[in-house]
Amino acid sequence: MENPGAVISPIAAKDESRGRKLQLLGILSGFAAGAWLGAAEAPTKLVSIGVSPVVISLIMVIGVFLARWSLPALILGTSSIRADVGRAPHLILWALLAGCLWAVANTLTIYAIRDIGLSIAFPLWNSNSLLGILWGFLFFNELQQAGWHRWAGVLGGALVMCVGAAILAIASSSSQGPAAAHSLSGVWAALGAGILWGTMYIPYRKAYLTGMNPLSFVTFFTFGELGMMTALAISTLGVRPLWQELSDARGVMFWLMLGGFIWVIGDLFQQYAAKYVGISRGIPLSNTNQLWGMLWGILVFGELHGRGHATYVQVIGGSLLMMLGVGAIALSSATSKEQSRWRDAAQQESDRYGVAAEYVEARMDGRQATGEAPPKRRAVDWILIAGATAVFVGFARIARVPELSIHWGPALGLGAAMLILLVACGLAIWKTTKFN
Amino acid sequence: MTVTPSSGNPTNKESRSWLKSVLTDVHFWVPVLVLVGGLLLLKFVR
Repeated sequence: MENPGAVISPIAAKDESRGRKLQLLGILSGFAAGAWLGAAEAPTKLVSIGVSPVVISLIMVIGVFLARWSLPALILGTSSIRADVGRAPHLILWALLAGCLWAVANTLTIYAIRDIGLSIAFPLWNSNSLLGILWGFLFFNELQQAGWHRWAGVLGGALVMCVGAAILAIASSSSQGPAAAHSLSGVWAALGAGILWGTMYIPYRKAYLTGMNPLSFVTFFTFGELGMMTALAISTLGVRPLWQELSDARGVMFWLMLGGFIWVIGDLFQQYAAKYVGISRGIPLSNTNQLWGMLWGILVFGELHGRGHATYVQVIGGSLLMMLGVGAIALSSATSKEQSRWRDAAQQESDRYGVAAEYVEARMDGRQATGEAPPKRRAVDWILIAGATAVFVGFARIARVPELSIHWGPALGLGAAMLILLVACGLAIWKTTKFN
Repeated sequence: MTVTPSSGNPTNKESRSWLKSVLTDVHFWVPVLVLVGGLLLLKFVR
């Protein structure tokens, strides 16, 4: 009789090695997400004319919408998106819901900054990572059977990051003078944004436990995002004034849409982080965007120029704390026991929604399911890519070049760092999963 | 039960089935309630 252990052990070892690879991929994706999400703020800094915050947000979302359709079409092709939706049609509803949550949260942050200033608002909504840990634990078996030191690494790391984020926000906003009149409504708005963003990760995780490709999920997410943002802009300003503001802003539309485009690249990496390390680890890692935003502000736009010694101490201290927290989370990757609990959660999803277990399993492992056609780009994909490019080129032609002092050396350095992360992480995803 | 929409034409019954699965999923109502709360909060802070 055969010894079952002799057969199972190599398979188990292979599974464990694959699991470790995917965990590393998730962590790398989280770092890349932070860099690109943080850089998305840079083009918006070039906009200094009096455009209303809601309109700025709407224009960025238009850029986001174009990117969310053209990038997946370029990477995988829309036929792959159609196939994904055919297997798990219920996820369209989840994606729309997540998009609506994002738009409302983003609008709330505008009011929070107006009422209490960035220094108080940012740490409040950055608490979304703590809520993500809670939802991950309650709904998706994350951190279950993880052991106390992994709990300490993730929860402690997220808390340390929140403190670091608070210090950075105080340092970055003290140049803007005293915050606007402190009010309870601003605190509620910031907390509300954090709750909405933290909860938005429930649909994310749901999608990836059911096997949906992040590239497919974001294409439907963006309908919720653009639809809700348009509704909010119309209800705030009215149709005619909104149109008027949009046409007045056409000279700066390119910069805002570019910000949206960069943001989408960061968000795609964030989606892969949520997929491969879960939301409890993925969200805090991508929250390093604040650190990158700060680097762009200080090094490229000279935001702290001429400021006192105390501000620099705050910046260095806050950054070190954030890096410490990130390090703790990155070193607390899920054990095989915890990963088997993730598989239990995926099994529940597969049973509830009647998605083939083999498909869910394959996608969790980042590979194609049996019988799945390889992704192929068609004419419609090239039309989408060409259309989105034409819109960007069109707005670039009428864009006003801002009169702003920019330090090009650090800008090139940061740009190079972002590109290195993009290429390294993109290649790692391609090599390990072929973007499945 | 395993539904494989890719293997055949999606029917109204299948659509109803996945819609029912979503609406009876407690996970779905958490983000819905948070969204409603967020919209009310937005109305308040405006």
